[in-house]
Amino acid sequence: MNYPWMALLFLVVKGVCILAFFAVNAMFLIWLERKVSAKIQNRLGPMVTGPHGSLQLIADTVKLLLKENIVPTEADRFVWWLAPFFVAVPTVAAFLCIPFSATWIVSDLNVGILFICSITSLCVLGVFMAGWGSNNKYSLLGGMRSAAQIISYEVPLLLSVLVVIMEAGTLSMQGIVHAQEVGWFFLKPNVLVAFLIYLISATAEVNRVPFDIPEAESELVSGYHTEYSGMKFSMFFLAEYANLFIISAVAATLFLGGWLGPWRPSAVWFLLKVYGIIGFLMWVRWTLPRVRMDQMMAFAWKILTPVSLINVLVTGWLLVIKG
Amino acid sequence: MNAAVFYLIAGLIAGSAVLSVTVRDIFHGAIWLALTLLGIAFLYFYLDAGFLGVIQILVYVGGIMALFVFAIMLTAKIGDHAIRQVNRQFWPGLLITATLLAVMLKLVMDGPWMRVQASGVVTDLQTIGRSLLTGYLLPFEFISLLLLAALVGAVVIGKVKR
Repeated sequence: MNYPWMALLFLVVKGVCILAFFAVNAMFLIWLERKVSAKIQNRLGPMVTGPHGSLQLIADTVKLLLKENIVPTEADRFVWWLAPFFVAVPTVAAFLCIPFSATWIVSDLNVGILFICSITSLCVLGVFMAGWGSNNKYSLLGGMRSAAQIISYEVPLLLSVLVVIMEAGTLSMQGIVHAQEVGWFFLKPNVLVAFLIYLISATAEVNRVPFDIPEAESELVSGYHTEYSGMKFSMFFLAEYANLFIISAVAATLFLGGWLGPWRPSAVWFLLKVYGIIGFLMWVRWTLPRVRMDQMMAFAWKILTPVSLINVLVTGWLLVIKG
Repeated sequence: MNAAVFYLIAGLIAGSAVLSVTVRDIFHGAIWLALTLLGIAFLYFYLDAGFLGVIQILVYVGGIMALFVFAIMLTAKIGDHAIRQVNRQFWPGLLITATLLAVMLKLVMDGPWMRVQASGVVTDLQTIGRSLLTGYLLPFEFISLLLLAALVGAVVIGKVKR
């Protein structure tokens, strides 16, 4: 790699791969979600376009791309225009540190897991901006609810990640995977508790049922992205499903041993674990009802946060005893 | 090449910082402030201080900016363009800022600048953690005291008066 332009070319190729994966994965997840929900509700779901409706996605994508981009008259244009980027760009950036296999990682930063947590926390601002910029009561309410929820659940989420960092002794995503070669982390009781807390908080972070009060169709007509259409709406939509992939990928890496598996290729093991977690979250989404706003906030602050704090303390004791 | 990257980041920081105090809409001001803080994080990444950069984003952009925006949303009519941007403290404030600027400029221009070669050692978290709890224990504890005072202050201000 003596030529700078070669390095640059390599970077561009990696970027294109990530963007392609970002889009295709999100499209696949949207189809999967429709199929899973149909299965659970005893329906068939999309069936007409292509075998089992698999071409429905392409039809939907073309529709979204060709749709007119409508700007509300009273919208704050600067904020309104900027908001989808604040949601989509950090989501793409988080893919930088996801280890698909021992060698398939764009950049194994030595602060990998912190990088993912911090860069995805930027999405809060985007949600806020969408709610404010739309100049619509429902959007504003949705944006505020979403932000309150994300900020609250960030605390137990980071504390449960901290338990894994303490066990692994490193922040690098590959380092965390290597630390699990002797045994996957979720087999330890204290990390299992952290895993459960992580799953609950992560569901809240991506605004999914039972924590989808910011979008609640029946009362807020979809909340912060009510006013968006066409390409801008699809950016929110793609980012939502890419976020679902990222939280599942982080869960698989931190608790289920990442790409470790009995035989090669390891990327297959990683994807199996990730889609397994995604399937579980979809099952939860279509099974449980929505919880009330105050119940949700009370649950975060009065139960999850104290439990995860105690868990961090216990993990510290265990590590000291083990030496 | 390196200098160009630095000036690009510095320009972003300075430009968005100026915009954050001059735009009329307070929400736009908050967004420009977020960009300023992001720019500072870029500067840390550029200087190979990855940990610092990540923490900068996590604490300032993800945490504090979200709280700012939350406060703006919860305050009635603060988004109105009719609200004046300056109050009676404008002239004293300007005087103090100008003095501070003059002092800093003087220091920057006169000071002997040590040139430190990049050591190439990636500072790992263990070193940072160890030095926080040994060499820098006193400042570290002072910060926690400050945070406690801020918490108590917020509770006192936020308490409903009877």
